[in-house]
Amino acid sequence: MTTLANKIQDVFNEPGCGKNQGKSEKERKKGCTKQLAPGAAAGGCAFDGAKIALQPITDVAHLVHGPIACEGNSWDNRGAKSSDSSLYRTGFTTDIGENDVVFGGEKRLFKSIKEIVDKYDPPAVFVYQTCVPAMTGDDIEAVCKAAAAKFNKPVVPVISPGFVGPKNLGNKLAGEAILDYVIGTMEPEYTTPYDINIIGEYNLAGELWQVKPLLDELGIRILACISGDAKYREVASSHRARAAMMVCSKAMINVARKMEERYGIPFFEGSFYGIGDMSDSLREISRLLIERGAPQELMARTEAVIAREEVRAWERIAPYTARLTGKRVLLITGGVKSWSVVAALQEAGMEIAGTSVKKSTKEDKERIKELMGQDAHMIDDMTPREMYKMLKEARADIMLSGGRSQFVALKAKMPWLDINQERHHAYAGYEGMVELVAEIDKALSNPVWAQVRLPAPWEETSWEERATKAIEAEAASLAADPEKAEAHRRARKICSCRDVSLGAIEDAIASKNLDSVAAVGAELGAGTGCGGCQEKIAAILGEKAGAGAIPASIAA
Amino acid sequence: MPQNADNVLDHFNLFRQPEYKEMFENKKKNFENPVPDPELERVREWTKTEEYREKNFAREALTVNPAKACQPLGAVFASLGFEKTIPFVHGSQGCVAYYRSHFSRHFKEPTSCVSSSMTEDAAVFGGLNNMIDGLANTYNMYKPKMISVSTTCMAEVIGDDLNAFIKTSKEKGSVPQEYDVPFAHTPAFVGSHITGYDNVMKGIVEHFWDGKAGTAPKLERVANEKINFIGGFDGYTVGNIREIKRIFNSMGVEYTIFGDNSDVWDTPTDGEFRMYDGGTTLEDAANAIHARATISMQQYCTEKTLPLIANHGQDTVAFNHPIGVNGTDEFLMAISRISGKPISEELTKERGRLVDAIADSAAHIHGKKFAIYGDPDLCLGLTAFLLELGAEPVHVLSTNGGKAWAEKTEKLLASSPFGKDCHVYAGKDLWHMRSLLFTEPVDFLIGNTYGKYLERDTGTPLIRIGFPIFDRHHYHRYPVWGYQGAMNVLVWILDKIFDEIDRNTNVVAKSDYSFDIIR
Repeated sequence: MTTLANKIQDVFNEPGCGKNQGKSEKERKKGCTKQLAPGAAAGGCAFDGAKIALQPITDVAHLVHGPIACEGNSWDNRGAKSSDSSLYRTGFTTDIGENDVVFGGEKRLFKSIKEIVDKYDPPAVFVYQTCVPAMTGDDIEAVCKAAAAKFNKPVVPVISPGFVGPKNLGNKLAGEAILDYVIGTMEPEYTTPYDINIIGEYNLAGELWQVKPLLDELGIRILACISGDAKYREVASSHRARAAMMVCSKAMINVARKMEERYGIPFFEGSFYGIGDMSDSLREISRLLIERGAPQELMARTEAVIAREEVRAWERIAPYTARLTGKRVLLITGGVKSWSVVAALQEAGMEIAGTSVKKSTKEDKERIKELMGQDAHMIDDMTPREMYKMLKEARADIMLSGGRSQFVALKAKMPWLDINQERHHAYAGYEGMVELVAEIDKALSNPVWAQVRLPAPWEETSWEERATKAIEAEAASLAADPEKAEAHRRARKICSCRDVSLGAIEDAIASKNLDSVAAVGAELGAGTGCGGCQEKIAAILGEKAGAGAIPASIAA
Repeated sequence: MPQNADNVLDHFNLFRQPEYKEMFENKKKNFENPVPDPELERVREWTKTEEYREKNFAREALTVNPAKACQPLGAVFASLGFEKTIPFVHGSQGCVAYYRSHFSRHFKEPTSCVSSSMTEDAAVFGGLNNMIDGLANTYNMYKPKMISVSTTCMAEVIGDDLNAFIKTSKEKGSVPQEYDVPFAHTPAFVGSHITGYDNVMKGIVEHFWDGKAGTAPKLERVANEKINFIGGFDGYTVGNIREIKRIFNSMGVEYTIFGDNSDVWDTPTDGEFRMYDGGTTLEDAANAIHARATISMQQYCTEKTLPLIANHGQDTVAFNHPIGVNGTDEFLMAISRISGKPISEELTKERGRLVDAIADSAAHIHGKKFAIYGDPDLCLGLTAFLLELGAEPVHVLSTNGGKAWAEKTEKLLASSPFGKDCHVYAGKDLWHMRSLLFTEPVDFLIGNTYGKYLERDTGTPLIRIGFPIFDRHHYHRYPVWGYQGAMNVLVWILDKIFDEIDRNTNVVAKSDYSFDIIR
């Protein structure tokens, strides 16, 4: 087994990940990564995941070893902000060509590192592996080692070629790279009992800076943020922190957990989004620090700051709540944001019409149910027509989503606000929530939305009316033809990853007497991709068990 | 010596040399009776105050930096919209040189126009001889199909009678009796360039429809299905008229562009000099009487022309330089209503694309404050579009706008919550605007090239939309009408907004933490 394969296996065996620990030994071996379905529109690759996780380290030269495609498309494409160096924004790549593919690109890589050291003299060079040199067999670890020795400078190989898996895996592999090569390699100039690490925070749109002043006020020092607005030295000496906060639930859990394991730094999972969450996070930071020996009085000071800031935030949100109360919001986002933003919006008096759970873990979904009640409208994958139907039924006034869903919202004539990484406003902390509410207020009142919802004045029927008609016609044709209706019901796709329909699952359950999600998975593969449909399969099994005898039509 | 033959410095660099700097300083100190710097600074700051603004707005006589041009300029514009027509300006030739250079600087094209070159004796004895000789020379030298006569102040002050002069000239054989010589009196001391445009258009309509100054029978209107279109004085005429033709064609509507300047100011470089190109044919100009209706894109450019047309039995519709979704909707629906033809699928799609583009970018424009100045119709069109975008107009100023215009603009502003803090200034100039920008600052200024001084003085970024645009090239090629045109205006506004964000974030190691590639 190659080192990369070992590494991936190691990353998958993540005791910090509840979802992973819920799996059988065999399932775990397969990895938690969702195999990308060929032909389906795909998300980012492992390289991209690694790049976005580490690129926010600002004073490092990030050198991408590969053809122009990899750096060309990822160069400075996220709004991670820096308070000092802007070297991370310079695009470095070996830009390999045909000759390098045939004869190997190791020499070019070595020379590139040399030229970076000569011209820029950064504290470290991060070298990113990509698909092509990984396939042609460039040993970048060896090149980095040689370069590090020759130039007397850290040269860190980040082994996360795109083909090994999705973005999330790349985040973790990036974490492994800094665990192996960076963290613990330097000592801080001094330490205090108030030193913390913030892990998985990228300082997008400068969000970290909305939180930092409060920590400063409490005398809490961010020893290292991994990796937003970070300097190499900070990450390298982050092993001396007293406690850590993990911000983005899935991306860098391995870093937090392994730092706990290796250096005894306890961590908690928190969020800076929403007033309540922000306060909880401050409390938790103080609690952990006190546990690690900081003076008890820190908690009292923390509570004082929380009380003051909450009042202040509420006062500033109050003028908006009158206009926003009762407005219905549809959230199309993923992961931790699906619940952390819910809380924030409810605080501003808005109702949540629905939230997507595509990238959310089971825990995320539980949190949503806690916040929104059992009948929370959770949206998995949707076809455009389903989306339209949902939007219409949800009677949403605005949709909050990431940049990629933005255009769906617009075509569906929904007011839209960006809350993912390419946003231009910072929504973290108390400050950020006021900002978010102000932005929602603005988005809701913009005259273009009235325009967007109206058909052209000369059109006799609107887009919506035509869509409604099409949906009604379809429903009517199904109602008139039971056979067709049954076929339609059975054709419903349950598992997108493995392309398994409801009918196929029902048939298999009936003919092979399957009685568990695992058994269905073994038979049809359903539920063995991302695992997102396992709940649905369980429901089908439950339904069938409850129904008693299998209808003859299906049994036959 | 800073300047020597081996290395000749141009003005960008020459006067920055230490020798020159020193010389300027000495000259100022010794000969210019300068006030002390602190005093200079104090007065400069004072001109930015509310107190100064009051005094500024109390100005009764003086106009400083007017945002309008003279009647004859508009007259020349209107005349050039017809096939092989040469504008003949009766009056002093210096004025004519101005019109030609003004247009050429804006359109980057030669502008043909002649003058009767009145001199001092003509001013005393009348300009008849200049008219007689001038028409003859023009006719023989440039071989135009039509000579469109307008005037400068000089001829107007002495009261030259164009009708009589042209008649006399024809009798004296300057041009054939049946030759088309429409005319209009266009003194610069009345109105502005949009008045001149109106007067010439009215003159041409009268000429062709009402018996060519008594030399031909009046035309009898036999109504047909066509629509006449009058664009008005428009710095975007090259792009706009072509876009309008595309729109008419897309709907399958028969039309006459009455005054088509699009090819006149956009001739190809292919080895052939075209003194005349394009333009409304004289036949079409005459036959335009039979049209079902006439649409004017700019109400205040056709205040006399349109009623005259209406008197001939046509429907008339006037717009105020419509820009944006609603404005274009209304324009297209008017065409559809008059012609009975539906709005085409192509245009409906373009509408959707424009709405889409606005929605994509609305967040960046939302709540931004704007000051606008320009011709009255353009101000109305831009204001309506800004309201559509969720921008907040704060000052709308038109030197050649009148009371009726101000009322109309106020009504438009009252129709949207985004217009509630806006004031309208009719008859004010750019020095008034300067006070407004200092005392009630805005995020962006929309105006013509002359706005660059305001941009420099007040630090308000200028979005160049209007006439003239001298210091940027080729904007006149882009339409601002139709959905495509609104798209252009949207992009220009956005470009400036993003330029500003970049400008405010580009200081290395100071503000470049926000110098992002994605906006």
